[in-house]
Amino acid sequence: MTLIRCAALAALALLGSAAGARPVAASTSRELFEAGNNAYELGRFDEAATAYEKILGYGVSDPRVLYNLANSYFKQGKLGAAILHYERALRLDPSDRDARDNLEFARGMIRDRVTESEVPYPVKVVQDVLDGLSANLVGAVFLLLYCAAGGLVGVLVLARGHAGRRALGYCAGAAGFLALVAGGALAYKIEQITAARAIVMEEKVDVLSGPAADNTVLFTVHEGTRLEVRNRRDGWYQVSLPNAMSGWVPSGAVEQV
Amino acid sequence: MRRTRALDRGRPAGRVALLSIAVLTLSALRGVVPALAQDASVGAQVDRSRIDEGGQVVLTVEVSAGNLGDVAPPDVSGIVDFDIVGGPMTSSRFQWVNGRTSATKSFAYVLRPRKTGTLAIPPLGLLVGGKTYRTGSVDVEVYPAGGAGIGPRGGSPRSGQRRGPGQIGGPGQIGGPGQMGGPGQMGGPGQMGGQQRAQPPPLAAPQVTVVADVDSRTAYIGQQVTLRVVLDTQTEILNLGMKDTPTFPGFWAEEIKLPENLEMRRVQRGTDVYNEYTLMKRALFPTGSGALTIPGMTYQIQVRRRSQDPIESFFFTPTETISRRTEPITIHVQPLPAASRPPDFSGAVGNFSLNVNADRRETRVNDAIGVKVKVTGEGNLSAVSSPPLAELSDFKRYAPKVSSSSTLVGDRLRAEKSWDYVLIPLAPGSQTIPSVNFSFFDPRAGVYRTVSSAAIPIQVARGADGSVGTGGTSVAQSDVRQLRKDIHFIKQAPDGLEDRSRLFYRAPLFSVLLLLPVVGDLGLFVFTRRREARQANARQRRERRARSQARRRLKEARRRMSPSTSRAFYAEVARALTEYVAAKFDTSAAGLTHDRIEELLSSRGASDEVRREFHRCLEACDYARFAPTSSGDEQMRRTLLAAEEILVRLERSLSS
Repeated sequence: MTLIRCAALAALALLGSAAGARPVAASTSRELFEAGNNAYELGRFDEAATAYEKILGYGVSDPRVLYNLANSYFKQGKLGAAILHYERALRLDPSDRDARDNLEFARGMIRDRVTESEVPYPVKVVQDVLDGLSANLVGAVFLLLYCAAGGLVGVLVLARGHAGRRALGYCAGAAGFLALVAGGALAYKIEQITAARAIVMEEKVDVLSGPAADNTVLFTVHEGTRLEVRNRRDGWYQVSLPNAMSGWVPSGAVEQV
Repeated sequence: MRRTRALDRGRPAGRVALLSIAVLTLSALRGVVPALAQDASVGAQVDRSRIDEGGQVVLTVEVSAGNLGDVAPPDVSGIVDFDIVGGPMTSSRFQWVNGRTSATKSFAYVLRPRKTGTLAIPPLGLLVGGKTYRTGSVDVEVYPAGGAGIGPRGGSPRSGQRRGPGQIGGPGQIGGPGQMGGPGQMGGPGQMGGQQRAQPPPLAAPQVTVVADVDSRTAYIGQQVTLRVVLDTQTEILNLGMKDTPTFPGFWAEEIKLPENLEMRRVQRGTDVYNEYTLMKRALFPTGSGALTIPGMTYQIQVRRRSQDPIESFFFTPTETISRRTEPITIHVQPLPAASRPPDFSGAVGNFSLNVNADRRETRVNDAIGVKVKVTGEGNLSAVSSPPLAELSDFKRYAPKVSSSSTLVGDRLRAEKSWDYVLIPLAPGSQTIPSVNFSFFDPRAGVYRTVSSAAIPIQVARGADGSVGTGGTSVAQSDVRQLRKDIHFIKQAPDGLEDRSRLFYRAPLFSVLLLLPVVGDLGLFVFTRRREARQANARQRRERRARSQARRRLKEARRRMSPSTSRAFYAEVARALTEYVAAKFDTSAAGLTHDRIEELLSSRGASDEVRREFHRCLEACDYARFAPTSSGDEQMRRTLLAAEEILVRLERSLSS
């Protein structure tokens, strides 16, 4: 009897702590957010950045926190950190126009001008539309269409010899095609999210021909430039620019998005 | 040697003549009479090769030649990585040695870097005597402010020196031939000789000291420090020259002009009386913080040597050249306080007043007004670069004409800098040129001060081109202009924050939902296929059993083959036949009419004959069943045989 009572008490305590822990984190992160915003408005950008960083430390990855943090870094003149956090904010909320604008503005201030390969107009329109949608939304739409197509195929299997089978077949085909399109969009989003990108965090970084300091310097990149990470090897990243120039940089000089 | 400072111009003409003859003779003997336009050497150097972003560097371009005509300042339009915030500050130096003269002219500029990194000052062209000489290029490393731990004094001066083919004499030259001597000491030659003869010649070094001193050893960046070099002497000075052009690394130096005739002051030190001359005065403005050092300067001083030989001392002037070096002076420069620094502060240090004037208060749309923003006061304004008038939305503003000048009042530099704006009103009505703020640092009080001008109201009438005049309704429209760009403001979170890093497609539910239709459809497919197979099996089984069932029924019929049970006999035969067909075609026997049986049989290719027999047999059975009289044994046997025959033939034709 006592054993049962003890177990019940323990379960209650566990429930209580679990229920209590979340609101505490939520309220402190909210207070920190307010404090950060107030500091920002007063022009104390370093203080604001510290508050926002703390919120992220609690595991609350809200795109607004990342955006405000990026603004604080920008105002402190830390271009690399600002661009990094704008990119992170956009990964969580690609529909944020403010973050997109600010990222573009910050990119205009970096030293390296990297020309990205030209994309044909229709593809660009599709890309722009997809860039504005969140991965979760695209995923949900895909799943809906996919399940609809699956359900229709199931009905089709059951309704053998039925008169309306042909119409049903067309419906299933259309749903399947749309699911395929949505699946492609989802694959693009996943590729965008999982693409290993890194931002140069130091004023000036030499890109070497191999993962050791005594290699030839191939070219130099500057703070804020975005690199694709292609390979990792203890303390070194193999990176490339959109114009296919590539080489190795120390991992401490860049930060992955 | 027009620039040589004469301590005394009233000396005996005889000695001058003698000296001139001696000089000319010497020159003729050596065959070196310096001509015009010797080859020049030009060089460029900076006072510091490494600076912090926002710091300043002094670029000195120096040209030396035997004879310098008018030298225009170098073309500095090639300097793109720096803003030129001050200069050119020119200074000249002449030297005469061994019959050769040389002149050096230098132009100093204060540069402020526009970006960080290794910036190059490109070669600068200089027109000397119709020939263009180019300096070497000079690199300056600019570090981000507060980064890399490079102090403001880091690095050494760097120079880009390039010489012309004919080098001019090196160091060790002394000033021009004009003699210098203290007026108080000057006397006729005879008198001098007599004095020297009366005394035993002192062999000790002449009592000449050169001392450099500053008015303050601590200063803020940009605050004036006045350097004074003083010569104390007890003996007559004949000639005076500097070994090198003085350099002041880390300072922006402004020369304080001294009178053409050096003024002498008598000072008493203990029992000795000295003649004191001020040789140099410079207003120095530190451009970086930390301990900055004014290097020692070496003066070559030609003094009269006291000779024991009266003949020699009468006809020639026995001279001796001595060298005196001043002590380096360290000045501790404090950075301007970062706290309470006004956001519009642009580097002015001193005490200034601001004056804003519009040339008229009433104008028309598109009629320009001139606005002059003038800052005057004590201090150095060369570093103040940003125009204090803000962008105005209802005026088109052209880039201002900037003019600056500086004068020395006493030993203090007074600067004046003005920005002449031309404003074109774009919209009619009562407009205002808002008040202009100018912030500077007052080093005496150690605080930042901001002076403001009053706002200037401007009445703008409609443009003259509007035909309706002032009462018209047409307004010259202009696009809304973006004055400046900045990032968008931070966001609020009224509904709280949430962790959005979780992605739906990574959730297990997503995978489950992805698999569900596939698994479900496969299951359905398998289920329907199995159901169909089961149904097909049942049909086959029925078909297989059709013959034996029919045979069983015929056996039953045979058992009833007697006149009393003839009806049951015929019913059994008919049933055997119809049920056989029903089983063969997997249908119900109840609904099988004669026509339907015909149809089914013909569909499976039974011959007409069999069909006819079948039909006849079935009809015979029906007839016998419903006839009022019973039929005989013989007829029954025949019917039974016929039915058996039909079944055999049907079995054969339906199975094939």
